[in-house]
Amino acid sequence: MKRRSFLSWGAAGFGSLCAGVGVSLAAVLRFLTPSVFYEPPQSFKIGDPADFPYGPPTFLADEKIYIFRDREKGFAAASAVCTHLGCTVKFFQTDHHFHCPCHGSIYASDGKVLHGPAPKPLQWFEITLTRDGQLRVNKDRPVAAGYRLMVKA
Amino acid sequence: MNPIRDLWQSISRRDPLSTDKGKSELVFLNVWLHIHPNKVRPEGLKVKHTWYLGFITFFLFLVLVTTGIALMFYYRPYPQPAYQDMKDLQFVVFMGGFLRNMHRWAAHGMVICVFLHMCRVFYTGSYKRPRQFNWVIGVVLLLLTLGLSFTGYLLPWDQLAFWAITVGTNIGSYAPLVGARVRELLLGGHMVGEEALIRFYVLHVAVLPSLLVLLTMVHFWRIRKDGGLSRPVWKLKPQKAANLVHIGEPEPEPALAAVAAAPDKTYGLMEVVTGRPIFETVAPEEDEETVFSYPYAFFREGIALVVTVVTVMAVSLFWNAPLEEMANPAKTPNPAKAPWYFLGLQELVSHSALFGGVIVPALVVLALVGIPYLDSNPSRRPADRKWAIWIFTVFVIVNIVLIIVGTFFRGPGWSFVPPWVHVTAGAE
Repeated sequence: MKRRSFLSWGAAGFGSLCAGVGVSLAAVLRFLTPSVFYEPPQSFKIGDPADFPYGPPTFLADEKIYIFRDREKGFAAASAVCTHLGCTVKFFQTDHHFHCPCHGSIYASDGKVLHGPAPKPLQWFEITLTRDGQLRVNKDRPVAAGYRLMVKA
Repeated sequence: MNPIRDLWQSISRRDPLSTDKGKSELVFLNVWLHIHPNKVRPEGLKVKHTWYLGFITFFLFLVLVTTGIALMFYYRPYPQPAYQDMKDLQFVVFMGGFLRNMHRWAAHGMVICVFLHMCRVFYTGSYKRPRQFNWVIGVVLLLLTLGLSFTGYLLPWDQLAFWAITVGTNIGSYAPLVGARVRELLLGGHMVGEEALIRFYVLHVAVLPSLLVLLTMVHFWRIRKDGGLSRPVWKLKPQKAANLVHIGEPEPEPALAAVAAAPDKTYGLMEVVTGRPIFETVAPEEDEETVFSYPYAFFREGIALVVTVVTVMAVSLFWNAPLEEMANPAKTPNPAKAPWYFLGLQELVSHSALFGGVIVPALVVLALVGIPYLDSNPSRRPADRKWAIWIFTVFVIVNIVLIIVGTFFRGPGWSFVPPWVHVTAGAE
């Protein structure tokens, strides 16, 4: 075997080996990445507008959201997940702030960070009225803090 | 004809232990014991030098494997059954609670002993040439131990487990670019749920233990190849130390002078090879004092094994492993704390997640791996290493202080609460 052909065959062989290993590693990574997430839907109905009282927000534990209802402004949905490390924040009627139990972050009632390590304000989600007259929250559609849905009684 | 003796000799296949040859053969004809050398230097067996922390860590790992396999018989890695099985182990399965206690306390013990072992290796300068790479393997073993502890933390599926892992995996997601993706890969989803539980289970019982076993074998093998158990070379007699503490490039002309075999040598020269060695020879010198591994080393190791197992058993008799109410994603306990060995990190994270959760740990791991390569001082004598010892001691103290603050001084909302002030904790 000539030196040139040995080197080119060798390079081709080594290159194929590297490519094979690379593709296999990528395949392993892809295998470990779920193709389907069997998780609760991000868009869901939360019930009839009349179910929600005026005044303090209603906490929906399974969905981890707070539903605000205001006589003048209407409905709004705030995330109850702290933007720091994912703990569930609690709204206190006494000071109208959200408090995170994990690292002491405090958010104003509009979601702005007042204190603590939280890097971002609480997320607000789109809230709409479905044809059957129910409220629907879509966690895939974040909205500005001032977003409100007015429902005629 | 003595059939019993014949049977025994067919198993042991060695000379009697009353002879030196028998003592050697006990070690090198035995698949389990031959990780030891036939003979060891007595200074390497000194308790006050190594504190047998490496052995104790390994024995704790053996306890963890044994009790872990036992627990697997009664554990189903699915949220509700998992918690139910914990209750069953605690109250129904014969000895179930005791085995779970042993597993939990041995795991905490292993984290502590790996750390202490690392400190010992640092303070005795045992990471220096030619042992640099074995230190690096040791750092990887420390990370694997933390990984095993962390993945095991989720398995009971109680509130403690759920929120520690929620907080812990969210810390990781602050890593730039890959953070969120790594979290998704680890959890098999976007939150701690059934997919996360099975992933943590597989990592905990198969992937990480296999890696740990493989690297432990390399770690032990390298000790042999790098010159045997660590010993305080700076305390040896000056004449002897002068020959032994020679560290650095070998002499330009490698001496290949023939040496007469010592009377107790049980091996022969296999081949003379030419070329310049990179490392000086690390086998015991011919005139060095050595003792047979049997009984001197084995007896001490046996004592360490018994003390380790008995201590874990005693602790498990008196203290139960914690088990809170079943995991409830809607209810964050206040305060929600990570496992204690991550509380130093959580303390930093409570000030800044990116700084405490990503930058500091990454720098710490890099610094630990780099120690043997950055520390160019060849001396192992503590008096010659004042700066290195100071810096490392500050690192150790900061670690311990942060963990203590996170464990005992943090109350609801992560506010500063001294441990002597009673606060009714509970879910908000």
